[in-house]
Amino acid sequence: MTPAVRCDGVVQIYKTKEIEVVALRDIDLVIEEGESVAFLGPSGAGKSTLLWLLAGLLRPSAGRLWLGDTEIGKLGPRALDRLRAADIGVVLQNPARNLIPYATAVQNVTFAQRAVRRRARRPAGDLLDRVGLTPVRDKPAGRLSGGEQQRLAVAVALANRPRLLLADEPTSQLDAATGQAVIELIRDLGETSVVVTHDARVSEATGRTVTIRDGRIGAEGRGGEDFVVVGREGAVQLPPEYHELLPPGSMARVEPLPDGVVLRRAEP
Amino acid sequence: MILRGLWRRRWLSLIVLVVAILPVVAGSLGPMYTDAARTTLLRETLDHALLDHRGWRVTSVTDTAGRLVEGVKAPFLLPPIKGAELLSPNERSTKTYPLMWIDGQCEHVTLIEGRCPTAAGEIMATGASGLKVGGTVKLNLVRDPDSGKPRLMPLRVVGVYKTDQTDPIWYGRSLFPQTAGVTEGNGDPLLTVEDTELSSAVPAGVTMAGVPATAWASTAIVYIDPQKITGDDLALLESVQGELRGLGQSGLSTTVFSYMDDTLKAVHLRLDSLSVPTTLVTLQLVALGWLLLFLTVRDLVAARAPEIALARLRGLSTLRIWAFGLSEPALLLLAALPLGLAASFAVVERMSERLLRNDLEVAVDGFTVLCGVAAVFGGLLATALAARQTVTQPVVEQWRRTPRSHRRAWVVDGVVLAITAVGLAELVAGDAITDTTGQRASALIAPGLLAVALAMIARRILPLACRALFQLTRTHGNIGAFLAMRQISRGSATASTVVVLSAGLGLAVFAVAAWSVTSRNYQEVARVHNGAETVFVVPRTDAATLRKISASVPGTAPVIVTPGPPATLATDPVAFASVALWRPSYGNDQPLSRLVAKLSPPTAAPRVMFSGDRIRAHISTPPLPKGWNAVLYADFRVFGETRPASIPMARLLAGTTVYEWGLPRGCLTAPCELRGLRMEVMGDSGTDFEDRPSGGALLTKLEMRGDGRWSTVDAGLDDPNRWTSTSSTSDGGLPLSFDPNFSATRPDTFPDPMPGLSSGTAAGQKLPGLDDIYFSGYKSVATTWALPGLNAPGVVVDLEMADRVAYGYSSRTEFQIWAAPGRGEEVRDALRGDGVPILATRTLDDLVSAYTSQGPGLALLLLIISAGVAALLALGRAVLALHAAARRRTYEMAALEAAGARVRPLRTALLLEQTITLSWGALTGILAGLVAAWAALPRVPEFAETPVTPPLDYSLVPVPVIAVACAVLALSMIAAAVTSELLLRGVRVDQLREAPA
Repeated sequence: MTPAVRCDGVVQIYKTKEIEVVALRDIDLVIEEGESVAFLGPSGAGKSTLLWLLAGLLRPSAGRLWLGDTEIGKLGPRALDRLRAADIGVVLQNPARNLIPYATAVQNVTFAQRAVRRRARRPAGDLLDRVGLTPVRDKPAGRLSGGEQQRLAVAVALANRPRLLLADEPTSQLDAATGQAVIELIRDLGETSVVVTHDARVSEATGRTVTIRDGRIGAEGRGGEDFVVVGREGAVQLPPEYHELLPPGSMARVEPLPDGVVLRRAEP
Repeated sequence: MILRGLWRRRWLSLIVLVVAILPVVAGSLGPMYTDAARTTLLRETLDHALLDHRGWRVTSVTDTAGRLVEGVKAPFLLPPIKGAELLSPNERSTKTYPLMWIDGQCEHVTLIEGRCPTAAGEIMATGASGLKVGGTVKLNLVRDPDSGKPRLMPLRVVGVYKTDQTDPIWYGRSLFPQTAGVTEGNGDPLLTVEDTELSSAVPAGVTMAGVPATAWASTAIVYIDPQKITGDDLALLESVQGELRGLGQSGLSTTVFSYMDDTLKAVHLRLDSLSVPTTLVTLQLVALGWLLLFLTVRDLVAARAPEIALARLRGLSTLRIWAFGLSEPALLLLAALPLGLAASFAVVERMSERLLRNDLEVAVDGFTVLCGVAAVFGGLLATALAARQTVTQPVVEQWRRTPRSHRRAWVVDGVVLAITAVGLAELVAGDAITDTTGQRASALIAPGLLAVALAMIARRILPLACRALFQLTRTHGNIGAFLAMRQISRGSATASTVVVLSAGLGLAVFAVAAWSVTSRNYQEVARVHNGAETVFVVPRTDAATLRKISASVPGTAPVIVTPGPPATLATDPVAFASVALWRPSYGNDQPLSRLVAKLSPPTAAPRVMFSGDRIRAHISTPPLPKGWNAVLYADFRVFGETRPASIPMARLLAGTTVYEWGLPRGCLTAPCELRGLRMEVMGDSGTDFEDRPSGGALLTKLEMRGDGRWSTVDAGLDDPNRWTSTSSTSDGGLPLSFDPNFSATRPDTFPDPMPGLSSGTAAGQKLPGLDDIYFSGYKSVATTWALPGLNAPGVVVDLEMADRVAYGYSSRTEFQIWAAPGRGEEVRDALRGDGVPILATRTLDDLVSAYTSQGPGLALLLLIISAGVAALLALGRAVLALHAAARRRTYEMAALEAAGARVRPLRTALLLEQTITLSWGALTGILAGLVAAWAALPRVPEFAETPVTPPLDYSLVPVPVIAVACAVLALSMIAAAVTSELLLRGVRVDQLREAPA
């Protein structure tokens, strides 16, 4: 079965007037259909960049990225637009950014459906009902509470029946209860979903976590257990909690074991 | 949703709407104003035209003129004034009367006695005719039809009338010689009724082009109603002129008399000088409107950037994103179209009422709407350009606020600067490049080009300068200066502010400079061309009568102008110097009285006048060689003629003989003047030239016969000072030489050459004289830059001398009475009181108004009003841009405040930033306007026809320019202070809890 997402050595470089910044390097990642993945990591690690790549908003500077059978890097701008319109739903950080504040809840949903064929559209009323916003359907989005806005943002992201739902810090500005409601909403959707978050509740709610540090995938968590990820060139990012034992810049010995290797600090 | 969005950004939307209205107003104002101005020009031309220049008089002796003109229809034509007339001597052939009837004649005359004629055979006559009520007149061509014999019909006088000769029913004709008292041969019109024509018989057998004709000429006068004609009717007017002219050319029996061609020529000249300048002014204003719109819409689109990014995120196609991005500004532009058209309509209506004419009907026609739509489309393009970056910028770049490289901006700057440089070079050194001289309406493009070019440079310089100062303020000075320099050097709002302010104010300063310089030139040219504050045109008469009229009204000068070239102005020098408008700078700082004092010669011989029917000459002649004859001719100046009348006075015989000959016919009714004697010596065939007679005859006495009695004429024949030099002198009479080199002599009544005060290039030419036929030499007593009353290089001469030189008065001469400053009303009343008809009154103010209402003047009027509004909008837009840019930094300022920065340095920072930017933009605009004025003003047309004299002055008038500059700077300062204070009050530390905008 074709995975929902496959990254193969993806590199992303931002070019500005004077400098180039490598935001992601050698990202290898596979997300299966129906899987929920949380991207974790410190600010500036590259989580959002990876999310934008998955959303088809960027094309990788190097490497290959597939969404289903479609390779993102080979698509032109128009095809990328169509891809976003048909297959991807995005929830941006800060709920207000997902919405047109002066448009009503219904208008926001229908606005998101403009690029979708009619038969692919979910009825706006059903969507709002699903996220519990029927009572405020005709209220301008700017006048909704933070939680309502976030739920509306999810509804808007789902308006085109996406195969992949991407959410960037969906709970960052919400109180605990509202945040929990949003987490449950995303989890219960049953779609393939990728969530960028700092929120432990979100990561716990997803089946898999991917930790990104310095533009690389440093670790993955599955079933409550965290694993480091061995990179393309054999590089491994030690989790920060082990930096005390093996501080960055120190030397270590690699000792082979039958099922892997062990690192021991080498005294100079 | 669009309306909700507009409401959410209501203030910004409102500003965009106001700014969007500007190009629509500018685009539609031009055509609407041009229409109104065209109509004004046409109506003004017609209003000031003489009667025969704004109508047609059709006469026919074979057809009814009224019926002929009925076929010519146009909405602006007044109903024809029908009539008929017959010119016939009276029974005794002592006078020739026009007998006529005209539709509505009774309403156009004032009855002094009796009543208007109502039945056949009844007439009314003028008081000057001497005919009395109850008396009868018989005319040779009006016969009684009931009588089998050729008996004349008695015409009974039932009324005595007087009339205003300038009344349209007279069509400007000189029909009243008796009232004017200038002739004895012609009578004033006898007014009758149509029945007289119908019931009278006229001599039969006359045919015209094979058609039986009558002595009555049917007439129809068709006038244009200036209140009904519009600028759009010009083509129709030309067609009407063609049709009516065709009537006149269709046969000998119909004549069409009109100077409409001249009127049309004048109209075209004035209209041609209107369209190009107004188009250029309009285009510049539209361009400025688009620039303003571009910058303002950019703000609106920037405010919608997150929504546009959302649309892209949701995968909307490029077309839909464009539609979404432009939906709000497009709706505003759509709303701006009717609003702009309505505003244009209101402005043009007000301008027409106040500045043009109050009888104009301003209309929004199809072309105007089209121009408005074009302005909207241009605005849409500007909007699209403004939105381009936001719509096409990748969403991620937008979110990350990635700075973009603006390398291409230099290309735009370079292109604009190159175009400006070429344009300026072309303008300043036009002769070298295009080999053209004089004025060009295209020069009006200079202010716009220069303003934009200088703005391009200025917007680059300011951030660079502030960047340098920024380094300095980091280490020296207070935080206020540091923050201000840093902000300006970032250039976020600087560039657009400087560009907008420079363009708007550059245009405004140029407009003010152009208007003030042009107004001064209008005033100066009008002073020279009109000559006096008020000039009354009176009917053509003779110099003596004109002098008499002037002498009876204090504060006046008699003037006769012959157009030339060179133009000749004959006047009484002393009176002229006291009433003419003169500037000593025109004549080497000399007063006019000193210059004209040299025009009158100290002495001149008296004229030799004859009055009667015969002349007799006493001549002693030596024997002539065989086969040789000598004939003495006498040349007379006869009243009413412009050429001399010559008579062969004597075929000379040896010995003392008295010769007698008939005087020219004109000498019978009015005195005529002996202007010269010529001896023609001829030999029979076969005579030897060597035998040609030598020496000469001696004229000893001249006599004339008047009323059957002979009297001696005082010709001063034995006074050598009274005749021009001859070959010999004699005490006993006037020697008449046979020598062809000395065979002519004339009474020495005027100096030759005549002294004249000349202007410009007139010096050295011959004068056409009052008769406009016989050129005479003149000697310039002084040369001036300009002469009052002359609109071309010409000469001012003594009226008496000019009259003595001439043989008559050309139909091109104009007789004028000039009034001294402030005495126009009194002089007019006095002239009317003396019964002197005033054909036209020309005042200095009227002439200035006429110049103002010419094409260039109207275009400048449009420029100054529109540029003023545009400059205010530009200033408003600049302040808003600065305000918006500074408001985005209130978060940063709140942080500074929270960090302990005092309010004062923050206020200083804001104030400095706003003041520097606004002042820089304002100064650039002022500089651009001044440079444009310096470069373009000498080339910008100010008159429909550039006056030859006086020389135009293009130096700037400092007061209005300085006033505008100060007002602009003061407004900038106030705006800076107010916006700074408003912004500062909006800075709250609480803001830090919110996300930055």
